[in-house]
Amino acid sequence: MKWRLFALQFATPLLAILFGVLIASIIVLAIGQNPLDVFGVLIRFGLLRSDSLLSILFKATPLIFAGLAVALSFRAALWNIGVEGQFYIGAFTAAYIGFTLKGLPIFIHLPLTILAAAAGGMAWALIPIVLKLRRGAHEVITTIMMNYIAAALILYLIADVFRDPSQVGTPRVRTPEFPPSARVPSMGPLLELFGLTGPDANKVNWLLPFGLVLCVVFAIVLSRTRFGYEVRAVAFSPLAAEAAGIPNARIQFLMFMLSGAVAGLVGLNDVLGFFGYLDIDFPKGLGFLGISVALLAKNNPLGVILAALLFGFLDRGAQGVQFFARTPKEVIVILQALIILAIVVAYELMTRYVRKQRKREAERPPPAATVAAEAGR
Amino acid sequence: MSKRGLRLVALTIVVMIAATLWILPGSGVQAQAKKYRVGLVYDVGGRGDLSFNDMAYAGLARAQKQFGARIETRDLEPTAGGENREELLRLLAGEKFDLIFGIGFLFTDSVTRVSKDFRNVKFGIIDGFIPDQPNVASLLFKEHEGSFLVGAAAGLKTKTNRVGFVGGMKIPLIERFEAGFIAGATHVNPRVQVFSEYAGTTGEAFRDPVKGKELALAEYDRGADIIYHASGGTGIGVFEAAVVKKRMAIGVDADQSLTVKPDQRRQILTSMMKRVDVAVFQTISGMINGKYKAGVETFGLKENGVGYAVNEFNRSRIRDIVPRLEALKRDIIAGKIKVPEDKKQLAEFVKKVKR
Repeated sequence: MKWRLFALQFATPLLAILFGVLIASIIVLAIGQNPLDVFGVLIRFGLLRSDSLLSILFKATPLIFAGLAVALSFRAALWNIGVEGQFYIGAFTAAYIGFTLKGLPIFIHLPLTILAAAAGGMAWALIPIVLKLRRGAHEVITTIMMNYIAAALILYLIADVFRDPSQVGTPRVRTPEFPPSARVPSMGPLLELFGLTGPDANKVNWLLPFGLVLCVVFAIVLSRTRFGYEVRAVAFSPLAAEAAGIPNARIQFLMFMLSGAVAGLVGLNDVLGFFGYLDIDFPKGLGFLGISVALLAKNNPLGVILAALLFGFLDRGAQGVQFFARTPKEVIVILQALIILAIVVAYELMTRYVRKQRKREAERPPPAATVAAEAGR
Repeated sequence: MSKRGLRLVALTIVVMIAATLWILPGSGVQAQAKKYRVGLVYDVGGRGDLSFNDMAYAGLARAQKQFGARIETRDLEPTAGGENREELLRLLAGEKFDLIFGIGFLFTDSVTRVSKDFRNVKFGIIDGFIPDQPNVASLLFKEHEGSFLVGAAAGLKTKTNRVGFVGGMKIPLIERFEAGFIAGATHVNPRVQVFSEYAGTTGEAFRDPVKGKELALAEYDRGADIIYHASGGTGIGVFEAAVVKKRMAIGVDADQSLTVKPDQRRQILTSMMKRVDVAVFQTISGMINGKYKAGVETFGLKENGVGYAVNEFNRSRIRDIVPRLEALKRDIIAGKIKVPEDKKQLAEFVKKVKR
């Protein structure tokens, strides 16, 4: 009995993906293309080329941080919609430390730069959470507003205050370049041992393993420590937590600050890992993608890794679909969104089905131990 | 119940295996007889911007029509923020394309990097300045020459002796439009006064119609009756202001009489055409005829790379000044008039005219 449920649970993500593909196929058919061709290209191009795999890793790196940042706040029943703004500020503070300090060895300069990014993100998260805990201002509103302020502020800082003097008079608006000591080293040399070379291998940098470690650490902290238990208690029932002597406000404050700190790191993949300067044209929207990543991962830090990889894959695969299957870009964007939406819905339905089945199994021959275990969940 | 669940699992697995089998064996592109492959990656905004990107596409389409089976063309759009423009260039280069265009100066760094990794692929960049790569052609325009002609049109047509200029991002590229426009207006009408405003100092200044409308309204209120914009999407606001004030405006890049809404069309005197299509087409045909040249190439009046637009909507309106504009054009091509490119040259030019 048990193993069937287990198999079903295991198949849930696969079924969810299949459902997403089926829904997307309808759109592909509607524009007169063969879905099997389109998805064939998506798989062949996205998964069977080494440059694509490397590109997916590079694209997934900032999404891991963004998804983790959002998930951390969601876990404490807080809605941090401000990851976008926090990451702008983090990218800027990192850039500032990057180009102002000179002559430091990399093992001092780089950690300082990364800490500056985290501090920038935290600083930007501080105002909404203080307003929330002290004055009851809803964090969704305040963080969204802070996003606008952050966007305008860093445009001003890059274009008018810290613009690279050597670029004045050109269309390029950006900060001065950082010395190598403030850049995240590429994983290229390591990947070369596995026969992976070229510009795509060089783009993948050490922030990726750093992000993975961060996810694992938070997964352990949230599920295996007292702090993690308190966070769950606060999110599940604030009143009960309060009654049990758990300081609600302190837990929420800490989790929001952690969320802001991780959010500050989102931009580093591009700024420190690739460009080496903060350009006015730097990638935007990663913070909002982080919300989708966290939701897809059901706020599980380990799930964030998988969800980020899926987003990276869809993003890379889209280029191949545009190129080889000649599907218009607009349709591809719709496909991406549909697949993700369908996966979320199907996953939710399947999980509910499995849970119901499980309950029924448990109810049939009621051995006391199983019931107690179920109730304890 | 669990039996049904099991069947569901089995079905999933079968379908997935079937799908995988279908997908795996085919190959992405069929081998084709040797033909030239030309790729193009658009600037932010992509197809349908009714100006810059669509002009680039027009050049590509013309080449496809002209050379037919001898070339294969592909055009790709980057994501909304343009983050993946370099990957798209790399994709084209990796697929053995012979000539790849990056449309817009934002491609400068990407084209530089990719051209170093693919030495045997030829590149073209519009508006970007990459003089030192042996496989990159930097395609620049003498926007000041075209702007001179529309400036002359404004100088001849103004009744208030006041005209205006609205620029996008304040960079030397756009200041060339401004210098040419002011020079042209003063050349034909020494008493003319020109107001100049810029929408900003960042890329945002090219997609801010609200700001464009504000600036244009202010200039119309100061008495200008014709405004020339060089501000991309911001110019939509300039046309809106022209409709509100019932005054004239001059378009840029494409023949904007053909691309704006009908009520705005009536307010457009002419457009300064920047023939991105000509640059793209000539570079392609150059490559096919073995005459591709790396380095900087500029397209001016002489090369038919810039000019003023005449169409069914404005023909009757500018008929009286066309002979004069054509004479000026000949003078510029012959070198009798040297159109200023920047503030300094403009000051000298104006001093000479007013003397």
